[in-house]
Amino acid sequence: MLDPAVMMEYMPAFWDGFIVTAEVSILSIIGSFIIGLLIALLRISENKVCRFAALFYVDIFRNIPFLVLIFFAYYGLPEVGIYIDAFWTGCFTLSIAVAAYVAETIRAGIQNIDKGIIEAAKSFGFKRVQIYTKIILPIAITSSIRPLGSVFINLILTTSILSAITLGELTSASKIIASTTFRPFEVYMFLVIFYGVLTFALSAVIAGWHKYLNRYNEA
Amino acid sequence: MYGDQGFTIFDLQLWAEGLGITFGVFLSSSILGLIFGSIIGLIRYYNIIGIGRVLMLGSEFLKNSPVLVQLFLVYFGIPALFTIDLSPVEAAIITLSGNTAAFIAVIVISSIDAIDKKQLEAARSFALSEWQILRLIIYPQSLAFAMPMFVSLAINQLQVTSLVSVIGVVDLTRVGDIINQRTFEPFIVWPIIGVTYFVLAKLVERIGARLEQRFSVHQASSEI
Amino acid sequence: MIEIHDLHKDFGDLKVLKGVDLKIKPGEVVSILGGSGSGKSTLIRCINGLEKITSGSIFVDDFDVRNKKDLMEIRKRCSTVFQQFDLYPHLSVLDNIALAPINVLKQNKKDAKIKAMELLRSVELEEKASVYPAQLSGGQKQRIGICRALAMEPNYLLLDEVTSSLDPEMTAEVLVILKKLAKEGITMISVTHEIGFAQEISDRIVFLDEGKILQNLSKDEFFSDEGGKSDPRIAKFLSKMGNQ
Repeated sequence: MLDPAVMMEYMPAFWDGFIVTAEVSILSIIGSFIIGLLIALLRISENKVCRFAALFYVDIFRNIPFLVLIFFAYYGLPEVGIYIDAFWTGCFTLSIAVAAYVAETIRAGIQNIDKGIIEAAKSFGFKRVQIYTKIILPIAITSSIRPLGSVFINLILTTSILSAITLGELTSASKIIASTTFRPFEVYMFLVIFYGVLTFALSAVIAGWHKYLNRYNEA
Repeated sequence: MYGDQGFTIFDLQLWAEGLGITFGVFLSSSILGLIFGSIIGLIRYYNIIGIGRVLMLGSEFLKNSPVLVQLFLVYFGIPALFTIDLSPVEAAIITLSGNTAAFIAVIVISSIDAIDKKQLEAARSFALSEWQILRLIIYPQSLAFAMPMFVSLAINQLQVTSLVSVIGVVDLTRVGDIINQRTFEPFIVWPIIGVTYFVLAKLVERIGARLEQRFSVHQASSEI
Repeated sequence: MIEIHDLHKDFGDLKVLKGVDLKIKPGEVVSILGGSGSGKSTLIRCINGLEKITSGSIFVDDFDVRNKKDLMEIRKRCSTVFQQFDLYPHLSVLDNIALAPINVLKQNKKDAKIKAMELLRSVELEEKASVYPAQLSGGQKQRIGICRALAMEPNYLLLDEVTSSLDPEMTAEVLVILKKLAKEGITMISVTHEIGFAQEISDRIVFLDEGKILQNLSKDEFFSDEGGKSDPRIAKFLSKMGNQ
């Protein structure tokens, strides 16, 4: 029999898991954005080696499963004398892996900029760095809010995989609740709906933000 | 002490078996996902008996929740609720097929939407049946439109298969885990597993590029 | 013979056709004129069932448009040429023409393509047989649209504003073909803005106003001062269109 009320009693444990998920997500979003931005700049650099290295980075991290990466980091880092816990291993690995997707999104944003705008900036005597910081990147990022949003929503869903390295986030917490209550169907169904509603809400917020930031560009 | 036992020739066999399982799970869930996703998409398009919306809402939840949780729901949840037995491989294929189907359904609908509807009216005016219109006009055009999206979905779903290791399917990732636990050589084991996935992904990409070319609008139309 | 009796067509609250009676005999060329919103395009779309009629009846060679089986027969007998061409973008010009003959009339592929080629020759586009619609000009697309309709060997050719999306030069190249067809004796029902064209090819002019037939006259009567032009609404329409 289906017993939908089963979760109620365990909301505090669920909430603790949610806090961990939120922390990992926020830190990894910041980390992946910074790394991704750098990779994007390397991707469009005039230096051939930089371009190739960035392309290699993107290709590697987009084609190897996150679970393999996280196992590599979790078991590998102590071997080279880096002792960090599951939380930070998760943050670093997520940041590095998701940066590949961030980089591709920002690169697409940069390549969609009207070349005339850049020419105009050059003609006004802006320096190269200024053209990037004042013109290219602001335009590329504001016009990419929505696709970046989907990348980050995917990141949030990916944090569930950190349960495999014993991090006590939402999915881990739910696993424990499921085994204590012997009600795995209700617990995981609740979790699916929770993630679904969370990401719906976030996409709605991102879509609104995108619209607001791009209000001058759209008819 | 646990670990540090060195590699043996059997590890190679284990690797090959894991590769086979990964490939099998990927292929079967892709094919099943393609079939069910297309059916859901068509039900939505033709709005048959009004269940299209319900199916699409379900698809949204499958797209917007972690596949790992879906795996737990199917592997632990369904047997507990309905008192039936599911092997890890069965649970894996059910979950991944459902997840793939959710994405396919959305691709199918957006590809049909991309077609100019007035030509369908023209076809109707020439007495083509709805089935002929689907087969001769909607299908080739939407397939050409959908193909790049199918290919990137396939590359993504290949990586997603690694999650089935968590419920005990002995796929490539699980093999990596087993060998790593025994040998304690993460710097050898995981790069090998990683490269295997990478090569598989490149293979799928290559095949996908071929298919994209083959089903591009102009090629698809050489025969009617 | 096309027989339309007391035809009504509503789109929700909007009544577009309010009781149309019309008979079209084999071999006749009838032009339907009227301002925008007069319902003339809707009328032609009702004949082959692209719009479901609200009430009244339409029979084409005694087939009933309201009957699903009959409708398919009607569609085989009536071919439409569309304002926006509406060619199939994924098929070559030749395949665009041969698609329905092969799949609906079950013609042999080879024969259908040979016939399609002949039609292309008649509109001087045979060198475009293997080209895709996107690579053609509007006038060329419409000539293909006409071939596609003729390939069905229809008893009736329905022309829905066939020149409205074309510039004057392209209009001319399409009109030449249609005039030739009119002379060959094919039954045509043409909805159009082109008064000159209507005047040149039609046997009869039907003037539609606010969903009703205002005048249904032979061409000569319609354009005479005592006939059609004596009606102020028609006179106004003609002077407005003539000035364009």
